[in-house]
Amino acid sequence: MERTNKIIALIIKLVFWGLLVAFFVWAFTNDMFSTIVEQPDTFFRLLGEHVTIVLLSGAAAVLLAVPLGIFVTRPKFRKSEWLIIGIANLGQTVPSLAVLALAMGFLGIGISAAIVALFVYSLLPIIQNTIAGIDSVDDDMIDAAKGMGLTNSQILWKIELPNALTSIIAGVRTALVINIGTAALAYLVGAGGLGVWIFTGIRLFDNAFLMSGAVPVTLLAILIDYLFKWLQFALVPKGLRLARKAQNS
Amino acid sequence: MGITKKVEVYLGPLQEKFRRCPPISDLIDYFTSNFTFVLGYTWDHIKLVGSAIIIAIVIGVPLGIYCSVNKYAASTILQIASIMMTIPSLALFGIMIPILSLINEGIGTLPAIIALVLYSQLPIIRNTYTAISNVDPDIRDAANGIGLTTFQRLYKVELPNAIPLIMAGVRTATVLNIGVGAIATLIGAGGLGGIIYQGILRNNTTMILAGALSVAVLALIADLFLRLIENLFTPKGVKK
Amino acid sequence: MIHFNDVTKVYNGNVKAIENMNFNVEDGELVIMLGPSGCGKTTLLRMVNQLESITDGDIMLNGKSVKQSNKIEMRRNIGYVIQSNGLFPNMNIEDNAMIVPNLLGWDRKKMRDRFNTLMELVGLNPDQYRKRFPHELSGGQQQRVGVARALAADPPVMLMDEPFGALDPIIRTHLQEEFLQIQKELKKTILFVSHDIDEAVKMADKIALLKGGQMMQFAEPAKMLNKPANSFVAEFVGQDRVLKSMSLYTVKDLATALTLKPVSESLEAQNINENLSLRVAISKLLNQEADQLIVENNNGTNKGSITLDLIEQFLHREIKESV
Repeated sequence: MERTNKIIALIIKLVFWGLLVAFFVWAFTNDMFSTIVEQPDTFFRLLGEHVTIVLLSGAAAVLLAVPLGIFVTRPKFRKSEWLIIGIANLGQTVPSLAVLALAMGFLGIGISAAIVALFVYSLLPIIQNTIAGIDSVDDDMIDAAKGMGLTNSQILWKIELPNALTSIIAGVRTALVINIGTAALAYLVGAGGLGVWIFTGIRLFDNAFLMSGAVPVTLLAILIDYLFKWLQFALVPKGLRLARKAQNS
Repeated sequence: MGITKKVEVYLGPLQEKFRRCPPISDLIDYFTSNFTFVLGYTWDHIKLVGSAIIIAIVIGVPLGIYCSVNKYAASTILQIASIMMTIPSLALFGIMIPILSLINEGIGTLPAIIALVLYSQLPIIRNTYTAISNVDPDIRDAANGIGLTTFQRLYKVELPNAIPLIMAGVRTATVLNIGVGAIATLIGAGGLGGIIYQGILRNNTTMILAGALSVAVLALIADLFLRLIENLFTPKGVKK
Repeated sequence: MIHFNDVTKVYNGNVKAIENMNFNVEDGELVIMLGPSGCGKTTLLRMVNQLESITDGDIMLNGKSVKQSNKIEMRRNIGYVIQSNGLFPNMNIEDNAMIVPNLLGWDRKKMRDRFNTLMELVGLNPDQYRKRFPHELSGGQQQRVGVARALAADPPVMLMDEPFGALDPIIRTHLQEEFLQIQKELKKTILFVSHDIDEAVKMADKIALLKGGQMMQFAEPAKMLNKPANSFVAEFVGQDRVLKSMSLYTVKDLATALTLKPVSESLEAQNINENLSLRVAISKLLNQEADQLIVENNNGTNKGSITLDLIEQFLHREIKESV
C-alpha cells in the first residue's frame, strides 16, 4: 500500500515535470523566445522596469504596513483593529486592474501611477498578516512577560515581533507575488514592464511576444516565492520552527 | 524656493486630479443610465466564474479526498497547485494563448476558464485534504468499529464533518476568481473587467470606479451567498 | 512582607470580584490561596504585581504601596510563575531563564553562573539544556525552567499561579516535593494560587480559602482541617479532612505531645521511623500488618510504641487545642 502510494506520487511528479519539459521543448523548437534573443536590450529594460515597480512599491508597503499593523495591535489602539482588518479584507475584493486604473486617474500615465497602485495594493496582505501574527502570540506568554517586568517595548521587540515574524514574511511574500502579476498590467497605465510584450502579443497574435513576456514574468514570480519561502525558514528563530513542528505533529 | 512654494508645485496638479475625481452623483448617474449594460457584464462575469468554480469543485474535491489517503501524493499535488497559484494571471493567459491556439481557442472564454480552474485548485484541494485529515481519529475509529466500509465512512462520517472547511475553500477560490475574472476581459472573455478596461481606454474615471465597485460588490455578495450555503450544508451537530 | 489592606476589586462599576480583603504574608512564608474557580484568587494574586488594578484599599509590599511603586521595577523584583509556564518559544532555555537578569544588565559571566546554579537547583543539567528550546522539553521540564526563570534575579517574593496545575499527577507530586525542598533552602515569601486542597495542605504554611471574593478562612493547614470556620470550608476541605490533617503531623510530634506506650510482647509489631507522617502510621495499623508500631529514630534507637488508641488520643488533643 505504502509502496503503491509512493509510486503514484512519483508518477504525478514525473507527469508534471514531463509536461513542463515538453512545453519548453515545444516553445524553443517553435522559436517562441525569439523576441528575447533578438532584442536583449529591450528585454532587460522591461525586466528592469518590472522589478523596479515591484521592489519600490513592495519596500514602501513594508515600511508603512508593518508599523501600522504594530500600531493597531497596541493595547491602546486595539479598538481600531477591526476597522483596519475590515478595510484590508474589503480592499482585496477590488480588482488589481481597477486599482491601477484609478491610480492613473489621479497621477496620470507613467511609472509613478503603477508604483503607487501596487504600493496601496500590497499594504493589505502585509497589514493583515502583521496583525494576525501579533494576535496569534499566546496571551499567557505576554502575561508572563509583563509579570516579569518587561516594558511594553521590550515585549514588542523580544516577544511579539520574533513570534510574529513568520506571518509577517508570509504577508510580504503574498504581496510581492501579487505585485509581480499586477506589474504585468502596468503597461495599461504606461509604466512599461514585461507586460508590454504580453499585450503586444495579445494584440498582434504573436506567440513569440507572448511567451517572451509571460514566461519570464512567471519565473520571476516563482523565484520570489521560493526566495521568501527560504527567508521564512532562515529568518525565523529556531525555537519557533520547533514549536510549529510540535504543533503539527 | 520656499517650502510652501515647493509643496504647491508638487501638490498643485494632485489637487486638480482630486477635483477631477468624479463625485458620487456621477457614479449613480452612470449606474442608472447604463443599468442593463452593467447587468449584462455582471451576468457574463457570474457565468465565467460560476462555470469555472463548478469544474474546479468536480476536479478539486476528489483530488483532495485522494490526498487524504495518500500522503505522498498529497505533498506533490499541493506543491503543484501552489506553483499554479503563483503564476500571475496575465502571464498564465499569455502562456495559454499559444498552446490553445493549436486548437484555435487561443482567445476567449476557454483560456479564461482554464486559468480560473487552475487558480481554484489550491484552496479547494488543500481545504478538502485538511478537513478530511482533521476528522477526529476517535470518530474514524468508531466508524470502523461499527463496521462501515471505507466508502460509507467517507460518505456518512468524513464528508459531512469536512463540509464547512471545503466550502470555505470554495469561497476563497470564488472571491479570488471574481478578481482574476476582471483581468480575463483582456483576452476577450468578457465580464466586468470590460467596464474598467473601457474606462482606461477612454480615460473615464467614472467608468473605472463603476467597474471596480461592481467587481467588489459581486465578490462580497458571492462571499455572503456561499457562507449561507455553507451554513445550509453544515450538519446541525457540526455547527459551533 | 505582603500586606493586604481592605483590598477591593470592582469590575465594570458594579461586579465585586474581591471584597475588603485583609491578610498578611509574612517573610519566608508560603501562603496558598485556595477556592473554587471564580473565587477571585487569581485576581488577587495579579493585583500584587499590578497586572490587575486595585479598585479600593492597597497592598503593601515590604512596606511600600504597590499602587505607588514603579510597576516595571517592582515586577522585576517579584518572581512570577504561571500554569502554562509562558516560556518564550523564540528563545533558548538559557535566554528564557535569564531574561530578567538580562534586563537588569548583569554581565555574561554572572548570568552563566546563575543559570548553572538555578538549573542544578531545579534538577536539570545546565549544559544539556542551555541551548535547547522550550518545545523540545516535556511539560515537567518546562515548568522547572519556569520556576528557575522566576528565581533568576533572586527576588524575595514569588507569585505562583497554579504552577503545577497542568502537569500529570505523578510529575506534579514530584515537582511539589522538589519545590518544597527548594523553598526550605531559599525561604522566599510566596503567594501561591491553587484549587487543589491536597496541594495546599502539603505545601502551605497558611491557607487562604476564598469564595466569591471573600475570605472564608485564613489559617494553618492543620487548623483549617481540624477546625473549619464554617460549613463551606468544611465542605471544601472534604469529609476526610481529619485523615488529611494526619499527613501534617509526624510520629515525632505525637511522641513529644504524649508518652509513648511500652512495647507489648503480645501484639504483632512493626518498626516506623519517627520522621514519617501519622498518615503513614495509621495506614500501616489499619492495614493489619501490625497492631503496634515501634517508633525508632534515625539511629534505629527504640523509643516506645504507638497504637490506634494513642493516635486517636493525640487527635482529640490537637482538635481541642486548635480551638
